Amino acid sequence: MNRYWKIFKQGIINENPLLMLMIGLCSALAVTTNVQNGVGMGLAMTFVLLFSEIIISAFRKVIPSSARMPIFIIIIAAFTTVIDLVMKAYFPALSKSMGVFIPLIVVNCIIMGRVEAYSYKQKVVDCVFDSFGMGLGYTWVLVGIAAFRELLGNGTVAGFPLFEKLGFVGFQPILFFILPPGGFLVFALFISFNIWLKKRMAKSAKAIAAEVAA
Amino acid sequence: MMKGLIKLGITLAAFAAAACVGLAFVNQATEKQIKINADIQLAESLRELFPTADSFDAIITSELEWNNVDIKLGEARVVKAAAESVGIAVMASGPSYGGPATILVGIDIDGKVAGVKILDLKDTPGLGANAASVNYFVDKAKQTTFPDQFKGRAIDDGLKVKQDGGEIDTITASTITSRAITKIIKACGDAATARFIAGGK
Repeated sequence: MNRYWKIFKQGIINENPLLMLMIGLCSALAVTTNVQNGVGMGLAMTFVLLFSEIIISAFRKVIPSSARMPIFIIIIAAFTTVIDLVMKAYFPALSKSMGVFIPLIVVNCIIMGRVEAYSYKQKVVDCVFDSFGMGLGYTWVLVGIAAFRELLGNGTVAGFPLFEKLGFVGFQPILFFILPPGGFLVFALFISFNIWLKKRMAKSAKAIAAEVAA
Repeated sequence: MMKGLIKLGITLAAFAAAACVGLAFVNQATEKQIKINADIQLAESLRELFPTADSFDAIITSELEWNNVDIKLGEARVVKAAAESVGIAVMASGPSYGGPATILVGIDIDGKVAGVKILDLKDTPGLGANAASVNYFVDKAKQTTFPDQFKGRAIDDGLKVKQDGGEIDTITASTITSRAITKIIKACGDAATARFIAGGK
């Protein structure tokens, strides 16, 4: 169990796809203008990652390595289309606000990177934990960036007018945060926060180890 | 060498075929609901533009005079109240800042805009996307949203953004979006006017 927890944990902070591996940034910066989009995109991406990893890991012995890329793309594209259709049918509003970014999950580097580097070589169960870890790592960063940008850029969180309810009636939204430059700035803050967190965690792990030794 | 290639091809084809079959099932399962969603949205929008109308009959779009090449005519409906035609609704999409924008325009039988509804717009959130926002006002005092200002307007030469010498207020920092939407509305209006002049209802 400990082993699976370790695999799962990797994606959240230490090997966070966005903050440490720095892949899949395009969609992450583009959709994070409000929290609903962040949650939706995170879940959609986790779904595609999970099923692509399972299928590719299950069939890794029969996928010839010289034709693996096209086969990966077929599998990823199939699951992306599934989630696109399901969202269109049952969450039309969400699907609308994310527009082209759902179909673009096909070319999301996180999925390509994980299936190539991980699930093509690992067992199915490991892949399930890896995809959940990576998916969660992607989702929390997306939701975090989105909450930050939406609050400052629009004065709301998930559509709820937080500032107004708290009594800051005169709050003028800072448009900058909704626009791409604001996205980059907030993203940079998250990267530095993550590095700080990682260092701190390593330090406290060392301290615990020292204590145990003493 | 040849044999290896054939084997690769077959493996690839097998994966593609399996994916296709799977997708066909999902498509079949969701197709109906997607169509229903689109219909519901259109029906709601039509009702919003013509609250008193009781039927919206489709017009064969090739009957409409359409001269614009950039803007594509989607569909059109004759709006009837108590069996009398009260206007037409035209749906069209044209290029805007962040991709095609789809707009539904209602035109009264007397040639005035009954209302404008933005169905699909992919422009910048906080800027161009304000065109479809109910909280963004081009006239703050009167609480007029961008689409609201078209209501009751005649289809004439003034139907242009102010920057182009017309009378339409633009969204701050989003002239391209404002212009694109105004052009779509004008195209729809022109088609409707041509139809009324020709004696059609």
